[in-house]
Amino acid sequence: MTNEKPILVETKELTKYFTGKKDLLNLHPQEVKAVDHVNLTIRRGETLGLVGESGCGKSTLGRVILRLIPMTSGQVFYEGVDIGAYDKKQMWQMRKKMQIIFQDPYSSLNPRMTVYDLVRAPLDVFGIGTTEERREMVISILNDVGLDRQYLNRFPHEFSGGQRQRIGIARALVLNPEFVVCDEAVSALDVSVRAQVLNLMCRMQEKRRLTYLFISHDLSVVRHVSDRVAVMYLGSVVEIGTKHELYGSPLHPYTRALLSAIPIPDANRKRNRIILEGDVPNAYHPPAGCRFHTRCPYATEQCSQEVPVLRQVGDGEHMVACHRAEEV
Amino acid sequence: MKKRENESYFSEVLDKLVEHRAAMAGLCVLVLEIVLVIILPPILKLNPYDSDYTAFSAAPGAAHILGTDAIGRDIFARLIYGGRTSLLVGLVSTMISCLVGVPLGLIAGYFRGKAEIVIMRVADIFMSFPSIVLILVLVAVLGPSIWSVTIVIGVLGWTQFARLIYANVLSVSEKEYVESARAIGTSDFEIITRYILPNSFAPILIAITFQMASAILTESSLSFLGMGVQPPGASWGNMLYDAQSISVLSKRLWMWMPPGIALLITVLSINFLGDGIRDALDPKIKI
Repeated sequence: MTNEKPILVETKELTKYFTGKKDLLNLHPQEVKAVDHVNLTIRRGETLGLVGESGCGKSTLGRVILRLIPMTSGQVFYEGVDIGAYDKKQMWQMRKKMQIIFQDPYSSLNPRMTVYDLVRAPLDVFGIGTTEERREMVISILNDVGLDRQYLNRFPHEFSGGQRQRIGIARALVLNPEFVVCDEAVSALDVSVRAQVLNLMCRMQEKRRLTYLFISHDLSVVRHVSDRVAVMYLGSVVEIGTKHELYGSPLHPYTRALLSAIPIPDANRKRNRIILEGDVPNAYHPPAGCRFHTRCPYATEQCSQEVPVLRQVGDGEHMVACHRAEEV
Repeated sequence: MKKRENESYFSEVLDKLVEHRAAMAGLCVLVLEIVLVIILPPILKLNPYDSDYTAFSAAPGAAHILGTDAIGRDIFARLIYGGRTSLLVGLVSTMISCLVGVPLGLIAGYFRGKAEIVIMRVADIFMSFPSIVLILVLVAVLGPSIWSVTIVIGVLGWTQFARLIYANVLSVSEKEYVESARAIGTSDFEIITRYILPNSFAPILIAITFQMASAILTESSLSFLGMGVQPPGASWGNMLYDAQSISVLSKRLWMWMPPGIALLITVLSINFLGDGIRDALDPKIKI
């Protein structure tokens, strides 16, 4: 169903290594492969869910795509143009099109700025409109996200988490971006507020034809909002497909284990939980071959030597990086 | 957190500061001092420079309310003029320290890299000198005067501010709102002035008070050693110069008690005010 839509954002072999612990003379700098040769496509108007456990590099991936942190290698294409090669000024222009909604509404708003200043700041930066027009735009976007104009001169600490996240959304959307990275945008919120904010984000997507990269560790939330879903493990995408393919017939053993952990709101149904053995390997020394093989119940000799690449399975868009996806 | 109409962080801090008794007492004393040293000389036509040839080393009395010094100058007049000097040196030198130290600390903390290495290592070098000796040498080179003392104390005080703001900028820069500012394309200059500085300025207020107290004391020490404000100019420090003689110290209390007490009260008031500001800025302390 999403096949016809044009590609908006594409990453090619996108890689981000962080230099970590150094020894005294920096002879053997250790690297964390936070994002390791990731290839993703995001189509205009869709929501791509990105799931994975803490520390798997999903937030880093979102930030590298936005060039909030510099990439180590690889390319990011926006409407077919490699923005990785953009200089500072060109990238500055791109900020109008690409925005981010942050996870923690308590630390992502400057405590010394009023709501009006916070939401107006992007307009100031790009010099859009006159003072009067900016005020109108701020009031209109606040209205869209469900905040009354009476709050204009309040400070962030006077609001609840949900209201703050609405301010964050207003700030991200006031420039009319096309592509928005939602970095765990609802994870910090109460369950009751979470649904409201999610619905708000979906409404905004329809109204403004936004494209979302929806980063989350919450599989139920991702299922609710996404068209397609990608699963990350230790810096690599292990499986990607439409949400029906991925939730309906998961192929990668890791995806299966994740999905089996979703609670079912029915006391009589028994879950067949797949309990993974061991911990996530140390990111400084990821295992050779398939990174999942140390915890995979189906691992063979081949898995510990050859790195599996993403390959198409079936005739849909379903792709998986596993040597034994068909057998298991 | 309490919710009140249009209540900002600073009005909350101000409320707490007003409640802080010692800080308010200190503030009142300081304001009173500043008012007195400004208005008293023209009103009372004080003359701190000329000798009264009829009264050398005179004890306090009707003609000279606090007595006279060894060459017949009125102690009260010199006390007031000395207050002008001390407060001026304290204020101006602290301003200089702040103006030099804060931008350097901001640059070191925000841009990191080479700027950080150069600025912070230079600060380390500055701090490894015994400051009073360095100040003595520099004042000797520049020639002792109120302005050379002010500038030297001010310039050498920059390390306090640079280090303080540097440490704060390091932690504030990690906050998500700074990343969010970057995401909307804010320039480095604006990130520093609108996002980082307002969120790391609170400790600077405290440092300003303590730096001012210490600048006043340093100026007095220099004048006491004869390298500060030169007679006939008056300063609390060079009034204390007379107390270097044991006979003055033991027999002529009026010569050194007034400037000594004035110094004590001033420095104490400033420190109380600083304590108050620190407590008011600490959200965990409820006064």
